[in-house]
Amino acid sequence: MKKYISLVKLLFVQQYRVKPTEGKRKRGGTIAAYVVLGICFLPMLIGLAGSMYFLGVLSKGLENVENIAATLLFVCQGVVLLFGVQTLITNVFSAKDADKLLFLPVNSSAIFAAKLTVAYLNEVITTAVMLIVTLLPFGIGYSAGAGYYLLLIPALILVPLLPMLISSLIAIPLSAVITKFGKNGVVKTLMQVLMFALIMGVYLFGMYELGFIGGSSGDVDGSDMASVLLEKLQGIGSAMKYVHSDFTLASAMLGASFGAVALNLLISVAENALLFGLVLALSIPFYRWILSASVEGTGVFRRKKVKSSDLTVKNQGVVKELIFTDIKRVMRDSQMGFQGILSLIMLPLMVVVFYFCFSITSEDGQNIVEMLQGQSLYRGIAPIVFLSYMSLLGMSSNVLGIYPISRENKSIYLVKSLPVSFNKYLLAKVILSTSAMLISDFLMCLLVVVLFGIDWYFGIAMLVVMGALGFGAMCITTLIDLKSPKLGWTNFNQSLKNAKNSWMAMLVGLVVSLIIGVISAVCLVGWYFLNAAWYMLLIMWLLIIGASVGFAAVCYRIMTGSAEKYFNLIEP
Amino acid sequence: MIRLSNVSKTYAKSQKKAVDGLSLEIKDGEIFGFLGPNGAGKSTTIKMITGILSPDEGTIEVDGVNLAENSIAAKSRIGFVPDNHETYETLKGIEYLNFIGTMYGVETGALKARISEYAEMFQLSDALPNMISSYSHGMKQKLMVIAALIHDPKVWILDEPLTGLDPQSAFQLKQLMRKHAEQGNTVFFSSHVIDVVEKVCDRIGIINHGQLVAVDTLDNIRKDESVSLESLFLTITADETAK
Repeated sequence: MKKYISLVKLLFVQQYRVKPTEGKRKRGGTIAAYVVLGICFLPMLIGLAGSMYFLGVLSKGLENVENIAATLLFVCQGVVLLFGVQTLITNVFSAKDADKLLFLPVNSSAIFAAKLTVAYLNEVITTAVMLIVTLLPFGIGYSAGAGYYLLLIPALILVPLLPMLISSLIAIPLSAVITKFGKNGVVKTLMQVLMFALIMGVYLFGMYELGFIGGSSGDVDGSDMASVLLEKLQGIGSAMKYVHSDFTLASAMLGASFGAVALNLLISVAENALLFGLVLALSIPFYRWILSASVEGTGVFRRKKVKSSDLTVKNQGVVKELIFTDIKRVMRDSQMGFQGILSLIMLPLMVVVFYFCFSITSEDGQNIVEMLQGQSLYRGIAPIVFLSYMSLLGMSSNVLGIYPISRENKSIYLVKSLPVSFNKYLLAKVILSTSAMLISDFLMCLLVVVLFGIDWYFGIAMLVVMGALGFGAMCITTLIDLKSPKLGWTNFNQSLKNAKNSWMAMLVGLVVSLIIGVISAVCLVGWYFLNAAWYMLLIMWLLIIGASVGFAAVCYRIMTGSAEKYFNLIEP
Repeated sequence: MIRLSNVSKTYAKSQKKAVDGLSLEIKDGEIFGFLGPNGAGKSTTIKMITGILSPDEGTIEVDGVNLAENSIAAKSRIGFVPDNHETYETLKGIEYLNFIGTMYGVETGALKARISEYAEMFQLSDALPNMISSYSHGMKQKLMVIAALIHDPKVWILDEPLTGLDPQSAFQLKQLMRKHAEQGNTVFFSSHVIDVVEKVCDRIGIINHGQLVAVDTLDNIRKDESVSLESLFLTITADETAK
């Protein structure tokens, strides 16, 4: 037990250790950035919490309210699954610390349990945030008793178990297959991405089947949307009996008597414990094998007769070589590749999910999206809305652009010793991250044109704008990473914990969205008052394209102007 | 030629000078051995010469080029073998050499010829099509040596180069160092293996607490031939520590 606790401490601290040397001024800047972001996201969180409060108010006097609470628990688990599954794969099954742990006089099951515990603790944090903005305001609105709030504590402990165990059960055999057959780093990365897509696909299918996504709106008007939502949630909730541990937990939280509360809680705990035990029994034998197999490659290589084609070399120019070397390194590293590719395919997938969310069919059989496509207001405004959304998310989630220097890790000395202009090196980094983002941007533009009926010429304009904005934003995110890179990691996920980078990237995305918003708002007002005159839209898009190209140029200048100073400050 | 004039360096996270007012000149055609106990400032000095760290004070010239004023030209004259073997593990050996060759502007033909020559010398040809992550410690060291020589540098800097090498490869490396110096180039290496320094170097420098405490030919330093470099090193560094 002592060894297990020490391991948990070690792994957890390693993940969240903060550099203690930040100066007061630098810390002040970081805090200011967090405050700005907090202000930006506060309305969204308040909005969600407010909706949950009113849901609680509307639930008063209804029967089977536990169905609604169980549904909310299930939604929380969905979010935990979304964030947690990546952590689980990279921290538990693809972690690169096997050689540092195998020689320890510790049972492999203790190592596995410690890693699982750390992954679990990460998920508890996500769960806490979700419970605060969903079940807590729901309870206040519902005027739930003290027992409800007390039981949020066991809920915090129990809610992450199911998503974590589902992903463990899928990830363990798949990781074993990957370890056995995926010697090629690229294949390994692609298999991981496929696996993740599979999990998410199953999850979304489940949500669709349960009625969370899409469906029919019936003959509902805006005034009684809330009651329809309630009805819908109750309908979904009736299916919650299949997720019995959630249903019993919700029943305990809303139980009328102490006996009912105690019994349901006991059943829920027992069910979760049973699931957890099953997973441990299945996974521990696998884990030791995965650990050993992951270190087998060290010092062993295939001795085969070398053909001259195996030793082909070609000087293809510095920037090109830097880019291609970087691509190979990212793609062959299962963690970097997984995170990099995932961040690029998630956004087009989200456009598809959005489509299913909005693609509601009315009782007379007409699809809302199709209905909107006929309106000139939609055709003028929708491209701008999509552009803002895609720019914001694209910039803040592109792992290749947010951690370009951190991913050099201990090899940063090599970069510093090369006789290459530092601007060329940075340009290569920015070109790579922008190009990768453009693939994602292209898919998103294609999808909004096809699914949401956006005019093709707006699609092209959006792609041009996103290309320029992406380049500019990547210059800034590269500079931010250069300013305080997270080097010396043993697990790429530790580098991703350099959360400041992600937040700053999000801030850049917000600024960009704001610029687009201001330009388009002014032009769209003009467009509206001029009876949807086409030339106003043309002027608006030309202005946006001009502003985005200007943004890219300014950002590039900022990056090249101060990069060398920060680069020299890195002390490998 | 390498010239350091009054070079000092204090790390951002430390109050203490890692290198303090170091002045040193290493001539063309010379093998210079750089000795010192752990934490004496050897690696910091090497990192400053190779451009990895910037000195707080002083100037560094490599083959007559001022490193601060023209870092790219100065760096292109250096071949560097680091002590930590941290490199791009997910590249194949041949890809890594191609990358380094391109960065140093080596033409394709010359690159191919040099890779072939050195890979054969260090018996690494079979391993080059494999990922560096599959290499042993010694194989990585050999790869680093080949990468450092791929552009035929005027100045060859090696940080603990013999660690992990098998006897044959260690012998080859010493031969190469001598050959490189005889061609009019400069070889600067740090080592803890005093026997090697004693046998290979034309001159040695001993650094302790960031300051150069002795620099000369071995004969001039020890004066008495019966005294070994090892006991001399221990005496000098112990005296300095006592101060």
